[in-house]
Amino acid sequence: MLYLQLFLSFLKVGLLGFGGGMAIISLIQEEVISHGWMTQNEYIDIIAISQVTPGPIGINCATYVGYTAGGIAGSLIASTAIILPSLVIMLTICYIYDRLSERWSENKVFQGIMRVIRILVVLLIAHAAYTLITPASFIDYKSWVIFFTVTLLTTLPMFVKNKMTDIAGHPILLIILAGIAGYALYG
Amino acid sequence: MFFQLLWTYLKIGTFTLGGGYAMLPLIEKEVVDRHQWLDGKEFLNMMALAQAAPGLIAINSAIFLGHRLYGWKGVIACVLGAALPSIVIILLIAMFFTNIRENATVEAVFRGIRPAVVGLIVAAVIRLVRKI
Repeated sequence: MLYLQLFLSFLKVGLLGFGGGMAIISLIQEEVISHGWMTQNEYIDIIAISQVTPGPIGINCATYVGYTAGGIAGSLIASTAIILPSLVIMLTICYIYDRLSERWSENKVFQGIMRVIRILVVLLIAHAAYTLITPASFIDYKSWVIFFTVTLLTTLPMFVKNKMTDIAGHPILLIILAGIAGYALYG
Repeated sequence: MFFQLLWTYLKIGTFTLGGGYAMLPLIEKEVVDRHQWLDGKEFLNMMALAQAAPGLIAINSAIFLGHRLYGWKGVIACVLGAALPSIVIILLIAMFFTNIRENATVEAVFRGIRPAVVGLIVAAVIRLVRKI
């Protein structure tokens, strides 16, 4: 019964969770509290842990809640259930998108609409970056030094394309180096 | 192809710290820049669809890419790759390190990583603006 409840709850979250990460976290919160799987404070801790561990926050949160409520089986059920609606809906969208791009790839209006959507997406991403500049993340001038160094190194290969700039601008390497820098500066 | 997609998304899943948009520069680097599986326009179309659909943006984009490159097998490879690191790491933490949040070392490391992630996203915006 618990497993079925977990499955249905996270299926609902996956189906109704528009807007990604943070929107999904508040939906999970409703389920967690209404089923009494954990207290408000325990859940707040889990959000914090989900944000400092790798991977999509929604999967992290679902796995943790599932584990707390129903052990390893619970965690697998919760994380699978939150993905399932995406699978069905996204594959349908892919199918429609493929058909539309096939039929209307030469159509000026379709191209124009897609172009406007792309501009909006870039603006949305820029806005996301802007909202991440908070006092909690940018605590002093050293944070800004890290920020500008990373921005510069990842932008550089656009203008100077060679092996050196390519390696120095790799996101994974920069995340690791930033983590080491954080340990050295604040640890 | 299956293992190449799985491996690529395992890397993306493991090094996404901060969720959602933090994943974007990594996907762009691997998918557009390195493997050239999609061009800049298609990448932005994918992000638009992934955000419009319900569910996790990271998972939605993994489904789109997997489907585009290698059909349903590709979907399995990308979704597994995106979700597995999360599940394994969270299970380990839930079982053994529940006090990770109060750990001073972890907090120091993240003080370095947080502004870096914002820098990665800003750089992705700069790159993508030229590809609209």
